[in-house]
Amino acid sequence: MTSYSKEVLGDLAAGKLPWPQTRRIMSAYKDDDRFFKMVAVYQDRVAWKDPILLPVSDHLFICQSGDERITRCECGHSFGDYRKNWKLNAAIHVRNTEEALREIYPNSDLPDPQWMEIREFICPQCGTLHEVEAAAPGYPIVHDFEPDLEGFYREWLGRPLQGS
Amino acid sequence: MLDKPASALRLRERLLDSERLMEETGCYDGITELTLRNQDPLKFETLHTKLRAYCVSAREMARRISASPGVREVGEMVVAIYTPEGDAIALSNGIMVHVHTMSRFIKWMIKNGYEDNPRIREGDIFANNDAFIGTVQVPDVMDVVPIFHEGTLVGWAGAVCHELEAGGITPGGDVCLAQERFTEGLFVCAEKIGENDEIRRDYVIRCERNLRMPIYWVLDEKAKVASCIDMRESVKQLISEIGLDYWMKVSKEFIEEGRRAQLARTRQLTVPGIYRGHTFYGHVTAGKPGFQLLGDPDWLYNIPIEMEITTDGKITMDCEGTQPWGYHSMNCTPAGMDGGMFVTLTQHMNFEGLVNDGAWMATELKLPHGTWTNPDNEMVATATSWALLLPAYGVFQRLLSRSFVARGFVEEAFVGQVNSPMIEMGGESQYGTPFGMAHFECAAAGSGALAIKDGLDTAYVGWNPESDMGNIEVWEQSMPMVYIGRSIVPNSGGAGKYRGGCSFVSTWLINKTSHLRLHTSEHSSRVFDNGGMCGGYPAPTCQKHRAVRNSDIHELAAKGEPLAHAPGIDPHVSDYERNIGGDHVVIEGPYITSPHKSGDIFSHSYNGGGGYGDVLERDPIKTAWDVENGFLTRQAADQVFGIVLKDDEDGYPIADIDATVERRAAMRKERLVKAVPVADWIAKERGRVEKADFAPEVKKMYASAIKLSSRFTREFSEFWNVDARSIFTPGAKP
Repeated sequence: MTSYSKEVLGDLAAGKLPWPQTRRIMSAYKDDDRFFKMVAVYQDRVAWKDPILLPVSDHLFICQSGDERITRCECGHSFGDYRKNWKLNAAIHVRNTEEALREIYPNSDLPDPQWMEIREFICPQCGTLHEVEAAAPGYPIVHDFEPDLEGFYREWLGRPLQGS
Repeated sequence: MLDKPASALRLRERLLDSERLMEETGCYDGITELTLRNQDPLKFETLHTKLRAYCVSAREMARRISASPGVREVGEMVVAIYTPEGDAIALSNGIMVHVHTMSRFIKWMIKNGYEDNPRIREGDIFANNDAFIGTVQVPDVMDVVPIFHEGTLVGWAGAVCHELEAGGITPGGDVCLAQERFTEGLFVCAEKIGENDEIRRDYVIRCERNLRMPIYWVLDEKAKVASCIDMRESVKQLISEIGLDYWMKVSKEFIEEGRRAQLARTRQLTVPGIYRGHTFYGHVTAGKPGFQLLGDPDWLYNIPIEMEITTDGKITMDCEGTQPWGYHSMNCTPAGMDGGMFVTLTQHMNFEGLVNDGAWMATELKLPHGTWTNPDNEMVATATSWALLLPAYGVFQRLLSRSFVARGFVEEAFVGQVNSPMIEMGGESQYGTPFGMAHFECAAAGSGALAIKDGLDTAYVGWNPESDMGNIEVWEQSMPMVYIGRSIVPNSGGAGKYRGGCSFVSTWLINKTSHLRLHTSEHSSRVFDNGGMCGGYPAPTCQKHRAVRNSDIHELAAKGEPLAHAPGIDPHVSDYERNIGGDHVVIEGPYITSPHKSGDIFSHSYNGGGGYGDVLERDPIKTAWDVENGFLTRQAADQVFGIVLKDDEDGYPIADIDATVERRAAMRKERLVKAVPVADWIAKERGRVEKADFAPEVKKMYASAIKLSSRFTREFSEFWNVDARSIFTPGAKP
């Protein structure tokens, strides 16, 4: 049974593992104990104590906060109930002019801002850029991920969530 | 007469029976127990490995027969072995997208009475390149031969090559000017093209008289038939060793095992739930010569994708809300969409175990009727369907990758494939002969970033995991152009903690011809079609074409003056304009123009992949290396990534870590100053939506999506708290 230490997985997640070792992990049979070990890696990384239930992005986690399950930034900022779209509680910066697009694409041809804008979803507390949408003006904000959290814990991990 | 099948049923009945059994039991062909696998797992695995070896070996042999640099150099070929009903058992490497599209072709023949007419006999050769029967586009020509054992049909061997010339209205394979089926080129519609292992002479004559470069197509046919015969004979030999009954049973168990393995891998690698994403494609043809005014010349397509993973491990991909088919070359058929799913799964999830049609059977595609994914008109053109297919599956890859991130398998998360424009050409070759060709160096774009490292530079395309741009010298043998530059395009990967892979740009001097038609397809210049993930930015849009007619390059060379070998990094003035005299041309979107001649210069950029993660977390030391090696500009390092570089004593860039930390802290603060709460933005933007204050192409996109999809209408209306129908389709019946 393949298995890796928490330290190795921590380095893997941080992009610090040497490439030959990373390559071996990619090619080997997958480690069945990965999920909870990786959760433990993330739990060590964050400064808050709420138990992480699911990573959903590079610095966003669903966690158990008292009786609630919320989406929380690594810095601790809460984006509210995990079933709601966290983006609706974020800060947004929209690039819909040539000048604003040119800041990110200084040496390339640009899209037409009449056809397309870039929306940056930012943590209002720490300023982390959590997600970028490239969308036509007027396009509704996408709810990226609605996990079946309870089904996942109950049927795939065999550890039903308390209160489920 | 029809030769006896293995069971008493005729092929058509057997196929329908197999589908019924799958419906009733949920298992392929009703196989609820993997009896042979359980009896002797080692024999089971060994046999599948042998089949795979037959496929890989046959493909490699066949590539030596081909004359096409697409097949010989870049590997645009795949072969596979099928059950009598047409389900893939084993396959080679190569353009795996076609393994399942060939399956559709075989099933189509069976369902359309080919047993009776034109009949299926030992030694027969069938070919097809009709995407409504089973392929992606006209240049993807597939050949299959039945495998008989002692008079019994026991399977099929099949092979596909991507042809570099298809005989369409414009030269090359991806016929950019095709707006209906009738201009796409030479169609072979599930046709018997040979008997007794020999390709019919009349078929070859048809190819020779309808193609600009028949040597590619015809020798590819011979290569494919040779590979099919090679696989067929290997399978027959295998059956003589293991017995017919064992073969008939084990070949189906392989597929059921593949289906179960896909479900198990989904449960192992992902998290159940609903995942959503979208991408866009913008087409610009207004004023370009040759386009018929059958539809809007400029248009914008939205491509929303919803992926559901259920707790039983099934993955469903739903394209509801996307746009209708149109009078352009980018429509796709369900066969093409199936193929996209197959090649995506083989790269992302089926990296171990038995790779075959079983994986595809563990998924479901929802392709709304009447959209570009499933046209309700079989006269539409699909000549460049990759233009929409690839961005769609790029979204799907990002959705899958989010599930890998959630499950902790960060090393498998991958921002996805890119769409990259192609060059087609024809006219008079450097040898003074007629010619036509697709330039396939496009098979090596930049990949999306991974969640743990940068994307691959000039080394990835979604349709062929064995990406290869081919050697310059080989391409130069085939076209009247010589390279004066092939170089990395700085900043062509999307920015992020891990940047997308960079693309490259080629610059050619047109040489020894007075008539070279150059056309390009699959551009999305007005909008991003390659997204980022988890804070990463999209890769830049398709770049404009830059050409110089009547250049003075020969005079400059004679004087030993510096030339330009790439467009450079100033988006407003290229190095060609700075260094080379002549008539400079800058063209957005498809390059459709009058023929070039010797002395002209032409350049073409490919696309990079999207980025992953917050740009302000990018490693400064790696960035200094990127700048030194031309993957990023100093300007981007400073302005986009917030990395302060200084020079070492030899003039090489090194990162100033302290200054970088300071600068990034300031940039983070600046972000928060510029940003507003999303609720405020929505409240303000709603006013614009209510007035439909958008460009005509954007308004048309919304109106089309609303007409086709009640779900899109409902979600749009609920999000903005408006009546989308009354805004975008006033007067239309609900």
